[in-house]
Amino acid sequence: MPISRSAFLRSTLMLMTVGLGALAVVVATTIWLVGRTQDYFETVVQLRQARGSIVELRSQLQDAETGQRGFLLTRQESYLAPYVRAKEVLPVQIEIVRQRLGGRDAPELGQLTDIIGRKLAEMDRTIELTRAGRPDEALAVVETDTGKQLMDQARALLASLVTNTETRLNQQVEDQNANAQALWWVVVLGAGIILVVTGLGVWAIGNYTRELAAARREVEELNLGLEQRVQERTVDLARANEEIQRFAYIVTHDLRAPLVNIMGFTSELETSLTPLRSYIEKLDPPPADPDFAEAKLAATEDLPEALSFIRSSTRKMDGLINAILKLSREGRRVLKPESVDLKGVVEASSNAIIHQVAAAEGEMTLDMKTGPIISDRMALEQIIGNLLDNAVKYRRKDVPLRIAVRTRRTEKQRVLIEIEDNGRGIANQDHERVFELFRRSGTQDQSGEGIGLAHVRTLVRTIGGEITLASQLGKGTTFSISLPQDMRKATGSIAA
Amino acid sequence: MSTEAISVTILMIEDDEGHARLIERNIRRAGVSNPIMPFTNGTAALEFLLGADGSGRDSAGRHLLILLDLNLPDMTGIEILEKVKNNPHTRRTPVVVLTTTDDSREIQRCYDLGANVYITKPVNYESFAHAIRQLGLFFSVMQVPETA
Repeated sequence: MPISRSAFLRSTLMLMTVGLGALAVVVATTIWLVGRTQDYFETVVQLRQARGSIVELRSQLQDAETGQRGFLLTRQESYLAPYVRAKEVLPVQIEIVRQRLGGRDAPELGQLTDIIGRKLAEMDRTIELTRAGRPDEALAVVETDTGKQLMDQARALLASLVTNTETRLNQQVEDQNANAQALWWVVVLGAGIILVVTGLGVWAIGNYTRELAAARREVEELNLGLEQRVQERTVDLARANEEIQRFAYIVTHDLRAPLVNIMGFTSELETSLTPLRSYIEKLDPPPADPDFAEAKLAATEDLPEALSFIRSSTRKMDGLINAILKLSREGRRVLKPESVDLKGVVEASSNAIIHQVAAAEGEMTLDMKTGPIISDRMALEQIIGNLLDNAVKYRRKDVPLRIAVRTRRTEKQRVLIEIEDNGRGIANQDHERVFELFRRSGTQDQSGEGIGLAHVRTLVRTIGGEITLASQLGKGTTFSISLPQDMRKATGSIAA
Repeated sequence: MSTEAISVTILMIEDDEGHARLIERNIRRAGVSNPIMPFTNGTAALEFLLGADGSGRDSAGRHLLILLDLNLPDMTGIEILEKVKNNPHTRRTPVVVLTTTDDSREIQRCYDLGANVYITKPVNYESFAHAIRQLGLFFSVMQVPETA
C-alpha cells in the first residue's frame, strides 16, 4: 500500500519525537544520576573521615588511660604527658566526631561523651590523690573497677560507632552500585529506543523513497507511452486526412465523367437543333398543321431555353467540381520543407497587386520582424497571395485602401503573420463561415466561387499552422496566421 | 489515313458509352473512316487483343491502334497497357491513353510502360470535341506498323 505524503510526514515526525524524547530522558537521568553519585561520593568521604576521627578518639582515650596508669605506677610527672595532651584534645576530638557524624548516632555519641567525661573525672581523681601523696587511696579508687567499666563501655560504644559507620559506608557503596546499574539500564534502554526509532525512520524513509522512485518510473513510462500514443494518433490523423483527400479526388473524378457526357450531348443537341430550327423558320408559307405552331415554338424557344439552363447548370457544377479537385489536389501535393524567407514571399506577393493598390489610391506597409522559416514555399505564396488578393477585391470604394503586413515571432517556436486591411469587413456571424467551401459573405458584387479562404485554411493546416480572423463590418479585417518555425516538427508524418 | 493503312482498326477501350459515342462522332467528323471497335471493359478487350489463351497470336498480322481509358470497371487501363506492351505480338501497336486523370505520376507511369500518347480529356465539351478532332487528324497521317 503506498504511503501518502502526509502519513509519511506524520509517522517520521512521530518517530523523531519519540527518539528525541528517549534521548532527553537518557540525558536527564544521566545528569540526575551523576548528581546522585556526587552526593554519594561526598557522603562516603564524610563517613570515612568520621570513621577515622572515631578511631582517633579511641586512641586518644587509650593514650589518656596509658598516661594515668604510668603516673600511678611511677609517680613521675613525665609519664603523665600523654594524659595531659589527651585531656586537652579529647573534647575537641569529640566535637570533630560529632560534626563528621553529622547527627547520625547522636544518642550513642551523647552516651560516649558522658562516659568519657566520667572516665576523665575518675582519672583526674586518682591523679590528684597520687599527687597529694595518697597513692593507696588512688589505687583503691582504681580497684573499685569503675574506671575499667567506664573504659569498657567507652570501647564498646566506639566499636559500635565504627561498625555503624562501616555499615553506612557499605550501604553507600551498594547504593552507588545500584545507581550505576540504573544508569546502565537507562542508557541501554534509551539507546535501544533510539536505535529502534532510527531503524523505523530509516525503514519508513527507505520505503517512501522506493515508492517515490517507483512512482517516478511509472510516470516516466506513462509519459513515454503518451508520446507514443500522440505519435500514433498523428499518424492515424494523417492517414485519415489522406483518405479524405483521396476520396474527394475519386468522387470528383467520378462526378466529372457523367458531366462530360451531359455537356457533350447538350452540345450535340444544340448542333442538331440548329439545322432543325433554320428548316422550320425557312418554311414559307408555314403549313396549316396546328402541330406546326407547337413544333416551331419548341424548336425556337422551348428547346433553346432548356438547353441554356442545362448549360448554365453544368457550367456551375463544373466549377464546383473543379474547385474540389483543386483543393484535393493541393492536399495531395507533396510538401517540400525548405528555408523560406517570409519577407521575400510577402514582397513578391505585394508586387503582384501593387498596380491594383495604386489604382485604388492605396498604400501597403510591411513590417517584417522574422528571419527565414522552414516551410513549403508554394503553400506560403498561395496563402499570402490569396489573402492580399482578397484585401484588394473586397476594399471599400469610398476610402483609400490601406494594407499592412506584419510578421513577428511568438512563443514556442512559432511565427505570426498578420494581414490587415481597411476593407468592407466581415459580419460577426460569418467569421467562421467564410472559411467553409463555397460560402461567401456580404454583398455578392464580386465574381468568385467561395473557395479562396477554404483553400487558404486547408493550406495553412497542411503546413502545420492555424488561421483566424478579427473583423468589424465596415471597418476592416485582420487575418492572423500562426505558423511553426519548422513545419517538419509540427506536422510529423503528415509531411512525410 | 494513307492507302496502305486502310485496314487499320481503332480499338476503343472506354467504359462510359456516352464518352465512347462522343469520341467516335468527333473522330468521324475529322474525316477518319477506319473501323472502330468499342469495348466497355478490360476483360473483353484483352481477350480480343491476346486471344483466349493470352498468347497474343490472334493479333498477328493485324493493324491496330488502341484508344485506352484508364478508369475501367474490371481493371485499370495501366494493366492492359502493361500486357499489350509486354506481348511480342502486340508491343508495336500504338496506344493512345485518353483519360480524365491528370496525375503526373500516372502520366509518367504510362509513358514508362510504353504508352505512345497520353491525353487528358478536357472537361469542357468544346475543348474535348476539338481535341478528339485533332486526334482524328493525327490518326489520318499516322503510320501504324503491322503487328508481329
